[in-house]
Amino acid sequence: MREVRVRLAATQVEYISGKVFFTTCSDLNMLKKLKSAERLFLLIKKQFPLKVSSVSKGNIFNEMQRLVNDGPESWLSAISIWKNLLELDAKKDKLSQRDANPLKRKVGENDVSNPKKLKTEQMQELQESRECRLEKQMEEETAEQGDFLMNREKSQEAFQNEVVKAADDPSQKDLTFRVSCRCSGAIAKTFTAQEVGRVIGIALMKQFGWKADLRNPNLEIFIHLNDIYSVVGIPVFRVPLASRAYIKTTGLRSTIAWAMASLAEIKAGAFVLDPMCGLGTILLEAAKEWPDVYYVGADVSDSQLLGAYDNLKAAGLQDKIELLKVSVTELPLPSESVDVIISDIPFGKKFKLGKDIKNILQEMERVLHVGGTIVLLLNNDHHRRLQDCEQSGIPLNSKGSPTDEPGIEECMSPREKTDLSDTVSSSSEASSQGGLDKMPPVGSLVPVECYQVSLGRTEAFICKYRKSHSLGL
Amino acid sequence: MKLLTHNLLSSHVRGVGSRGFPLRLQATEVRINPVEFNPDFVARMIPKVEWAALLEAADTLHLVEVPKGPIEGYEHDEKFLRQMHHVLLEVDVLEGTLQCPESGRLFPISRGIPNMLLSDEETET
Repeated sequence: MREVRVRLAATQVEYISGKVFFTTCSDLNMLKKLKSAERLFLLIKKQFPLKVSSVSKGNIFNEMQRLVNDGPESWLSAISIWKNLLELDAKKDKLSQRDANPLKRKVGENDVSNPKKLKTEQMQELQESRECRLEKQMEEETAEQGDFLMNREKSQEAFQNEVVKAADDPSQKDLTFRVSCRCSGAIAKTFTAQEVGRVIGIALMKQFGWKADLRNPNLEIFIHLNDIYSVVGIPVFRVPLASRAYIKTTGLRSTIAWAMASLAEIKAGAFVLDPMCGLGTILLEAAKEWPDVYYVGADVSDSQLLGAYDNLKAAGLQDKIELLKVSVTELPLPSESVDVIISDIPFGKKFKLGKDIKNILQEMERVLHVGGTIVLLLNNDHHRRLQDCEQSGIPLNSKGSPTDEPGIEECMSPREKTDLSDTVSSSSEASSQGGLDKMPPVGSLVPVECYQVSLGRTEAFICKYRKSHSLGL
Repeated sequence: MKLLTHNLLSSHVRGVGSRGFPLRLQATEVRINPVEFNPDFVARMIPKVEWAALLEAADTLHLVEVPKGPIEGYEHDEKFLRQMHHVLLEVDVLEGTLQCPESGRLFPISRGIPNMLLSDEETET
């Protein structure tokens, strides 16, 4: 959510169960830069969940049909916006679309929703929805006359949108479409996704005269029905946001890599290390976003390093990122020389972790500057192990007395508190009062934040630590 | 491997400790890469540089025009920053070795990547 606000100056940001809805008037290029979301959609409708209480399926079908039929303008304008966006992108000549009818229509906002594959409660910046006000570079004056769209009336900016009156636009009729549907919650028990898709599809055909094409449609429509909302949207880009143009082969999901990097507080001139970099996904995401930084990646595997080098070259970042073949438990770096460490701890599914997680953390801690941060992606086992350390209250190089006064910034940043509470409480059982008395798991590393994320089928934790003071030498 | 990296690497052979720095550089293949000059970035790296190690490495590679140390007001001295930029970031050792000054252990550099993995015996206390 933070990303949306910062990058797109979005307003009315709302986060609901894995999707972030927002309003913005940025253009396509800015949208393309969104990093923490998997996909971006243009919202057509968002409303309360369909009630499943009725006995007959027919009733529910009617409700679904209403999704389509109520307020067809919202569909049409969304589609015009979408089309316009794509045209802007392809730099086609829009003027040919202009109707003789000089009605200038101000396209109101349409919300864009962005369902993310990472369906978790706690990611900070996750999906973005976008309300887009198109900004076509039209030389037109700012004549305000025209139809306002339904209930949205925000004043336009200097650029006028030349949107052909959608209802009359003949090209709209030739749209082919495909409906993709996802159902979860109570509704999923009554219907299959295919059924819903079919109902909606038929309604669309009846309403707008479009044709269905399952293989290669012009327009894809996504519908997500669950217990919290019913959402309909159109994907803004053909390719999901998460597949980055600059990464040739990904290891870790690029959205998580970016999120980890943004948690790590990378500042200009910092020295950032990924001691188990694999294919370098995290470093690539970080280097793209924060370029004035010295990045070093290390791995023990030749094949991974080769892949990483390929990735670096493909992205043009080989001057920003150095690679080393070293072991994370024996880092050939002087103590306290690194500012930031970000790493995806191998889970054991793809790669084996030869050494114990505690040893790894110790070495990381040694090379880290006081005040530096560590952001790790851990699996459940690792996470639990670290928790055990905390609970038993024995830091690994114990000095006896509680000199390890936690310099904990905050246990969770308040912004995420709303949905965080569930998982957090489970992960800080030992700590009584909301976790502020936790003994750090490794010497002077103090836990700052911890988020549970989902990586598709598996779950993991992103944990951030800060080094609060030097180890006694 | 850039000289900025070499400046940070130290040998971690057991028992060597701080005498494992700096690693003696020997290069068989070096490439000069043009890298976009970012004065801000270079200025921030200067305080981290270990000058003796840098000068020794630069010497081995027969580099010229290497500043001998930070000068007064270096943050705004473009000539100085450009020279440092060249030395730290544009010189890339593709093939060669790094030698631990204390134990003599050799670490190969191959395709620009130094291999500093120790065998199990070497890491045993």
